[in-house]
Amino acid sequence: MDNMERLIKEKIRRELEAQTRRHFIKQCASGMGGLALGSFFLGCDPLKNEQKGMKMAFSDRDLNPLATMAPPFDSKVKNIIYLHMAGAPSQLEMFDYKPELRKLHDQPCPQSLLEGKKFAFIRGTPKLLGPQAEFSQVGESGHWVSDNLPHFKKVIDEVAFLKAVHTDQFNHGPAQLFMHTGSPRLGRPSIGSWVTYGLGSENQNLPGFVVLTSGGKTPDAGKSVWGSGFLPSVYQGVQCRSQGDPVLYIEDPEGISRNLKKQTIDAINQINKDEYAKYADPEILARINQYEMAYRMQIAVPEVMNINNEPEHIKQMYGVEPGKESFANNCLLARKLVEQGVRFVQLFDWGWDSHGTDHDNAVDLGLRNKCREIDRPMTALLLDLKQRGLLEETLVVWGGEFGRTPMQENREGKKMGFKGRDHHGDAFTMWMAGGGIKKGASHGQTDAIGFAGVDGRVSVHDIHATILHVLGFDHEQFTFEFQGRPFRLTDVEGAVIKEILA
Amino acid sequence: MEVLKQLLGRLHPILVHLPIGFLILGLLLIWHDRRKKELSKVLPLIFLWGFISALLACITGYLQYLGEGYAFETVKWHLWLGMGTALFSLMIYVRLAPAWSLNWLQKIPLLMLSSVFFVLISITGHQGGLITHGEDYLVEPLPHSVKLALGIPTFEEMPIALTEENWEEAQLFGEVIQPILNNRCVSCHNPKKKKGELQLQTPETILEGGENGNVLVAENAAESELVKRMRLPKNDEDHMPPKDKTQPTKAEIDLVAAWIDIGHPFDKSIKETGLKKELFLDFFPQRPNETYPDIAIPSAPVDSISKIKAMGIHVDPLNKNTSFLKFSCLNRPDFSDADFPFLLALKEQIAVLDLGGTQITDSIIGKLALLPNLTVLKLDHTAISGSTVLKLSALKNLKSINLSSSKFDAANLHALLALEHLEKAYVFDTPLATEGPRKLQQDHIQIDYGNYVLPPIASDSIIY
Repeated sequence: MDNMERLIKEKIRRELEAQTRRHFIKQCASGMGGLALGSFFLGCDPLKNEQKGMKMAFSDRDLNPLATMAPPFDSKVKNIIYLHMAGAPSQLEMFDYKPELRKLHDQPCPQSLLEGKKFAFIRGTPKLLGPQAEFSQVGESGHWVSDNLPHFKKVIDEVAFLKAVHTDQFNHGPAQLFMHTGSPRLGRPSIGSWVTYGLGSENQNLPGFVVLTSGGKTPDAGKSVWGSGFLPSVYQGVQCRSQGDPVLYIEDPEGISRNLKKQTIDAINQINKDEYAKYADPEILARINQYEMAYRMQIAVPEVMNINNEPEHIKQMYGVEPGKESFANNCLLARKLVEQGVRFVQLFDWGWDSHGTDHDNAVDLGLRNKCREIDRPMTALLLDLKQRGLLEETLVVWGGEFGRTPMQENREGKKMGFKGRDHHGDAFTMWMAGGGIKKGASHGQTDAIGFAGVDGRVSVHDIHATILHVLGFDHEQFTFEFQGRPFRLTDVEGAVIKEILA
Repeated sequence: MEVLKQLLGRLHPILVHLPIGFLILGLLLIWHDRRKKELSKVLPLIFLWGFISALLACITGYLQYLGEGYAFETVKWHLWLGMGTALFSLMIYVRLAPAWSLNWLQKIPLLMLSSVFFVLISITGHQGGLITHGEDYLVEPLPHSVKLALGIPTFEEMPIALTEENWEEAQLFGEVIQPILNNRCVSCHNPKKKKGELQLQTPETILEGGENGNVLVAENAAESELVKRMRLPKNDEDHMPPKDKTQPTKAEIDLVAAWIDIGHPFDKSIKETGLKKELFLDFFPQRPNETYPDIAIPSAPVDSISKIKAMGIHVDPLNKNTSFLKFSCLNRPDFSDADFPFLLALKEQIAVLDLGGTQITDSIIGKLALLPNLTVLKLDHTAISGSTVLKLSALKNLKSINLSSSKFDAANLHALLALEHLEKAYVFDTPLATEGPRKLQQDHIQIDYGNYVLPPIASDSIIY
């Protein structure tokens, strides 16, 4: 034994001798690198990120990152349904009635409007294009709505219009990112992530932020429009499909029974629990929680995503087409999800990019089909939420990523076969309805041809500030520490649009 | 000559520090030397130079007063006291210098003279500071509460107190426009600061205008500088108030514009001007949040909350500053009447209670009546038939009840209508909504029977 001990001492001594001064300094250098790297990750420290003034029991969020939290201010609204018409719908054929534009139809666009402007496709001097729809004034509020939306006229007094929204992006991808994350570049969390982070999720069996798409195409900006950016990824949107498995890989693989799955998860969790007993790291608890939630989701998600068990009259009201991917199905699902306590439901419907290059995207043809596809479902959604007492605690937002030009598109300076309009960010229409919103209100006005806002212009940041306000947040105080500074959804801008608040 | 006058005048704030330094040094040395008397040769010299520099300060000060257009009223005390200081330093020089020996002066004790002089210098210097830096310069950084405790006047906000009853009788200028200008503009445009030579505190000064002339164009707000500048983009150099100051609201700007458009009357009541009520609505007292009871209640015991949370029930405050709680049994569909007693530990705090989709029966209603501050109650998707709903009349705060998809029976409609404080009820998809009678007369309760339909129309099937 003595020899053995001597041998070990000898080994240690040799090792130390082999350690030259150069080795030592080299190791110091990599150590410094490690320290520096550590500081990059400060933004990921969960303890630093207690929301201002929202102190909560230490354990709640550590055990479950989706635990519910009270907002800073009173709010009746707890859920959001955001209907995004991807491709940018033409406000001039739907809500922004411009009789003057009809009179000026086929006149060349005044040069003063074109100076210093950049369009996606319009070149040279385009001609003005009169509204390609009939309009009428409806409801007690007397808002103008086009005949493309006959059903929607019934709920016109429930909504508040923003007629002069503007954005600084004129291409779909950046504009969609801007509309949903407050920045036209990648990397910022979407509104849904912010909201889920701020309020948590109520239903332990369902994700707090669900995304549904229709129209045969997902948004140009990709999944970043419902991404969590620098927020923990547990807050990102979960895309559910209305065809096949609602969530990819939610079915157990062939040959694996539910029982075996349960045993597997139990075994993993047991190991994790032992690990927790040793290190007391709350991250481990969060992991245990996520495994259990995934297991519960396997039952709950297919159930809530099944529209077949809804009564016939409800299905008729929405105009659903079971088994297909449709906006109507998604609207009905949105109601079901909100009813089940899902915090943020995001609907994307593709097909609104009415350039006039073919039949399907002509403002007098394809656009009418798109309008028909959303008219009944979105009207039914408002009425259905209303009769269940859900509308007062849900905010419904409708809009695109920008608007369309009062001029007819002349791709490459040529006259085109169909009537279409180019991308236009200077003025477009959005509406909101539900809790906290003034029914029948309309804010903002565009000029005689709908080219630019002349009164009550609101920016994308203003819309975000308003959404957060309705949910009980002060958008200037709701921050997340990242890369050494607090970040906001509204960056350094945004003002709450008080004119449309109840 | 004019240039020289201006230039010398502007030297005043620098020069004044010389006599202050010399004279305070002199006073300190007098105190230091009060026993040993070793410095009697130096002291007179210090006060001689103190006198000379004080004299220079007086001259430049006077030039500055002339050059920069201060009101005499503002500088009066500083001017007299400054000259007093110069004379006093001369006097002490005479008292100390061996060459002079005025008997009466020698009789006054030196330390007493020094003390008086010290006070004099302090006051003079302070007066000067007030003129250059403003009245509240020294105390400005103090917290508001300390200022109040010390009785220091803070900037006085003029409240705008219009109500549904008095708005027509209120003076348009005196009670609305003047407070707006006072609260948003006068902190810079006042007799002391006079930024841009403009003062906005009284009708006379408003009409006088500023360095660029009139700020009002009669009956033309769009051309009036006062309104134009407030409406410029915030980043514009000419935007008023400067972007780091509190901004007037849109309603305030609109009202000032409306006042100019009708010819800026100073002594008319709102009724006499004939302005529309809409313009003033923002200034009416805002309806406080009347949804939840307006009382202070103790905060809920933490262990009761965690006990209920452990049951899988959501318990959260309504907001971060209230003790009122909202409950939701969303994750506990097996919640039944037997579980209710747990909630009683928090009976005062419960304001929103969501028992939707649970196993509760009609017998729980009597117990719900024990929650005095219950405001919103959800009983949807339950077996509640409403036979005991009248017991809820004990709840003075209950405003909204959701019974949709419950078994609420038509026979119990009268009991529901008897709940005096109830404002809203949802009964969609209940026996009451499908076959029951409809409430005919409109009264305090708004009942939503639901069953909305969108009948098919021809355009539904037209494909373009």
